[in-house]
Amino acid sequence: MSRRAPASGIRRYVNAVNLGGLAIVVLSALPLYWMIASSFKGPGEISAAPPTLVPKAATLGNYAEAFVRNGIGRYLLNSVLVASVSTVVVLGLSFFAGYALGRTPLRGRGAIMTALLMLSVFPPIALVVPLFLLERQLGLLNSYAGLIVPYVALNLPFAIWIMRNYLAGVPRELEEAATVDGAGPLRTVLTVIAPLARPGLFTAGIFTFTATWSEFLLALTFNSEDGHRTVPVGIALFTSQYTVPYGTLFAGAVAATLPIGILVMIFRRSIVSGMTSGAVKG
Amino acid sequence: MALSRRTLLAGALAAGAGLTSGCAGKPLDTLLTQAAQVPRTPATLTWWVSEIPARNGPVVADLIIRAFQRRHPHIHVRKSNALSATDANRAAVTTQLAGASPTPDVYLGDTTWPAQFGSNSLALPLQTLLPKDFWTSYPAALRRVSEYRGAVYALPFYTDSAFLFYRKDLLAKHGRPVPRTWEELLRTARTIQRAGDAAYGFLWQGSVSESLTCNVAEFLADAQAPVLDGAGRVALDGAGAERAFALMREFTETGVTPSTVATYVEADSQDAFTGGRGVFLRNWSYAWGNAADRSASKVAGRVGVAPRPGFEGAGPRGVSCAGGWSNFVNPNSRHLGAAVAFARFCAGEEAQMILLKHAGVIPAMEEVLTRPEARAVGDPTLTRVRELHLVARPVQTPYYPQVSKALYTRANAVIGGRATPAQALRAARADIRTALEGRAL
Amino acid sequence: MTSPAPASRRPAAEQAGPPPAQAPRGDGPGRVSRRRRARTGWLFASPALLTIAAVTVFPVLFSVLLSFADVRLEYGGFRILSLTGDHYAAVLSSPEWRQALFFTFGFTVVTVLLELVLGTAAALVLERLGAARGWVLAVLLLPWALINVVAAQLWGYLFNGTYGGLTWLFEQFLGHQPDILGQPASAMGAMVVVDVWKTTPFVAIVVLAGLMLIPGDVYEAAEIDGAGTWTTFWKVTLPQLRPIMAIAVLFRILQAFGIFDLPFVLTQGGPGTATESLAILGYKTLFQNLAIGRGAAVATTTAVIVISCCLLFLRVFRTQADEGGRA
Repeated sequence: MSRRAPASGIRRYVNAVNLGGLAIVVLSALPLYWMIASSFKGPGEISAAPPTLVPKAATLGNYAEAFVRNGIGRYLLNSVLVASVSTVVVLGLSFFAGYALGRTPLRGRGAIMTALLMLSVFPPIALVVPLFLLERQLGLLNSYAGLIVPYVALNLPFAIWIMRNYLAGVPRELEEAATVDGAGPLRTVLTVIAPLARPGLFTAGIFTFTATWSEFLLALTFNSEDGHRTVPVGIALFTSQYTVPYGTLFAGAVAATLPIGILVMIFRRSIVSGMTSGAVKG
Repeated sequence: MALSRRTLLAGALAAGAGLTSGCAGKPLDTLLTQAAQVPRTPATLTWWVSEIPARNGPVVADLIIRAFQRRHPHIHVRKSNALSATDANRAAVTTQLAGASPTPDVYLGDTTWPAQFGSNSLALPLQTLLPKDFWTSYPAALRRVSEYRGAVYALPFYTDSAFLFYRKDLLAKHGRPVPRTWEELLRTARTIQRAGDAAYGFLWQGSVSESLTCNVAEFLADAQAPVLDGAGRVALDGAGAERAFALMREFTETGVTPSTVATYVEADSQDAFTGGRGVFLRNWSYAWGNAADRSASKVAGRVGVAPRPGFEGAGPRGVSCAGGWSNFVNPNSRHLGAAVAFARFCAGEEAQMILLKHAGVIPAMEEVLTRPEARAVGDPTLTRVRELHLVARPVQTPYYPQVSKALYTRANAVIGGRATPAQALRAARADIRTALEGRAL
Repeated sequence: MTSPAPASRRPAAEQAGPPPAQAPRGDGPGRVSRRRRARTGWLFASPALLTIAAVTVFPVLFSVLLSFADVRLEYGGFRILSLTGDHYAAVLSSPEWRQALFFTFGFTVVTVLLELVLGTAAALVLERLGAARGWVLAVLLLPWALINVVAAQLWGYLFNGTYGGLTWLFEQFLGHQPDILGQPASAMGAMVVVDVWKTTPFVAIVVLAGLMLIPGDVYEAAEIDGAGTWTTFWKVTLPQLRPIMAIAVLFRILQAFGIFDLPFVLTQGGPGTATESLAILGYKTLFQNLAIGRGAAVATTTAVIVISCCLLFLRVFRTQADEGGRA
């Protein structure tokens, strides 16, 4: 766009761009507000027609019920464990693989990158059957490892893309200097490259954590036993005596979304730069 | 480099071949021997149970567990969160069982599950562990659906029957009797709706789920139209079947039933009725307790119960699907003896009396319903269940889920006006045939 | 942002080609041979690649085997009874599968198109926002960060036939209570709305990243030539954005084809089978009907379609990119 002088008067605030920004905020946030408000509505009010915009009789009962009766505390713990471990393992493995694919003369790395691209969006339904039967034989169903291993494998492709594109931009001279000093390849990577990779690691980390936190199909199939359920499965399978317990459900949902929401808002710049390196340079 | 790649591939193929050959399970006899003995050592059982509708305060499942633990102090029973919606419930527990999970040890399942679960080795066959006269205490229809190929997979717990619930005050206000036929119900409902006393006339369940299959089976039985014949082949045809489907369409076409009924499960129809929005409701017996509860229902004290209407002319009245929930034993359980003991306790007199006194469901043990306590509870569904004409859904085939899907998918199209009754019947017939041949997805 | 300067701005297809030739390096202390560096590369990459292969490649091959097998579950194990092509015959002739394919395909096309348009519009707005950009971006990312099943439950509540907020809103305009999730057309529409709400942020920030990389002099040149707003956008901005949009579109198409969470929670594939995606069909076949071989056939056909689309897209885009480069 041409860089005209900034508008004055009312056009400074009321223009297409600002209205667009307002529209974005309203459309994104309104349903979320609805969810949060509903989590404070009692059972009578939540199924009232016409619906109320602001809860008339706000109550914390839904939160109590979500934690006490539906056990969302347990599901949150499971999710934290599975997501954290998966993320750490993914970061470790993708760092080295990204380095290898971006900075070493690996034969066939082009084909590997294309294959990884396709695998990163592979439909999980195709993996559910064989993994289910395999894990059943190995006794890995309803365990933490049974989810962590597939999660690591499914999130590695995208993480490797991000790390590879990120690391490819590090100047060669730094590495060569370390090699001249007599450092082996492992030492070089750990002392020279790793400290510089932090932003890329943050990006890959936030993507992996978000993806594993929200993953549903594998968690539903492998860890359906109550003690090992993760949050998405727990929320999808919330129980109650007669009706879908929306109030309790939203209370649980707010509890489940808060960690991710906060992480995403803190690391939003990482996410955008991750898209940059992932999409643009790739 | 090339060598190590080849070695990798070979190793993987070998591993794959090993896993592919499958794994032999334990022979059935071993399992049954274990199941026959109640262990003396402490054991913890997990009971997969969806919330049993309670008539008054206490959680019914807890009462039963406590009673069991008084009898067997060294066996501890834990509840596992299960869903109230039967289809999602089945998928969740099936996934665990098919995954050879040792828990849950005992699970509460719909009475329509034995054929499918038995044929897929998801439940332990129990007939050798039961006394010869076990089934004399329970309805014959229940025995039929609990067996598959002569093996018993489900032990009785409670049955569900469907009734017509109605607003006493609205009928009195307009001077109308409780309808005995569908035609009369349509007329009465329209009158009351036109007078503005209720938004909806007749509420039932039309969503694409097992709930609709129950309604369809009932309407078909009203019209005396079978789904499968005695040999298990599809027999869904004829004027009677078309009349049943046409009735479902008439409800939504005339506005007696809202078009949103196409998304209703039991909970939605119950919500609308207890919110005062409907004149008539078809629902299971638990609806009485819920509608009479002043804290949950706006129409408490104004609700009456009657058997479902029939069609004008010849034909049965008071048809109800033989529903209900029974206990199954997980063959992978590590405490088979304790599990079987618990399932049998739930079918026994003590547990059945607890159900009678505290649950809004009908205990499976018939004798319990004749006791004075049954009348004292004041729940008309308990006392009127004997007037009902129970019909079974076509559950004797392990392909029941696909058969049910054929029925509820096509019926839902009729309700929504997307297919004529004749078209829907033709399509349902073809779908059921495909399902019975095992060719349905 | 602290990302390093971009090494290149070549589009994905070109990067996926053969690696660029390396200038021969002279000998001397610290000069590691090519072969040794390649071996280091393999050592570093193999843990990750092996993990991926173990969980994706071999299970997929196993799945293909299962799709040709008659599998039976037994007490504590499973057995392959025989090999048969019946499953594929049943799947390909099944009207339910065809309906699922048709729906999944249509859903993918509609949502990706909508997200592309809305996402680009949002990106344009974000680029021009001044101080407010950080906050608007943060709010925009919240739907993206929301767990899929939570979003589905939320919108299921909004669309609820009896007491949903959106149902009430529509009722004010239509005069009667609409049955949004109960009629196939509106149920499909509802699913599109939820998916667009949830995933447009992803497209928006990809396009935003692309917008920010367009050099300012390109715009100045356009202004000097006297181009208006719309012409500038169409003839200058869009062509620059094409590679990025292509990647975003590719990702979205492949993701949308495997959609599961949303229909599972929002409609369970209903009404009827109107919103039954291929993944939902596969899941129901596997875990509601316990037809393992058949479910594997559904899953394998889905995977084949996805991979073919991906390869086709890359081939088409590679040709386009070459032509664009030459122009």
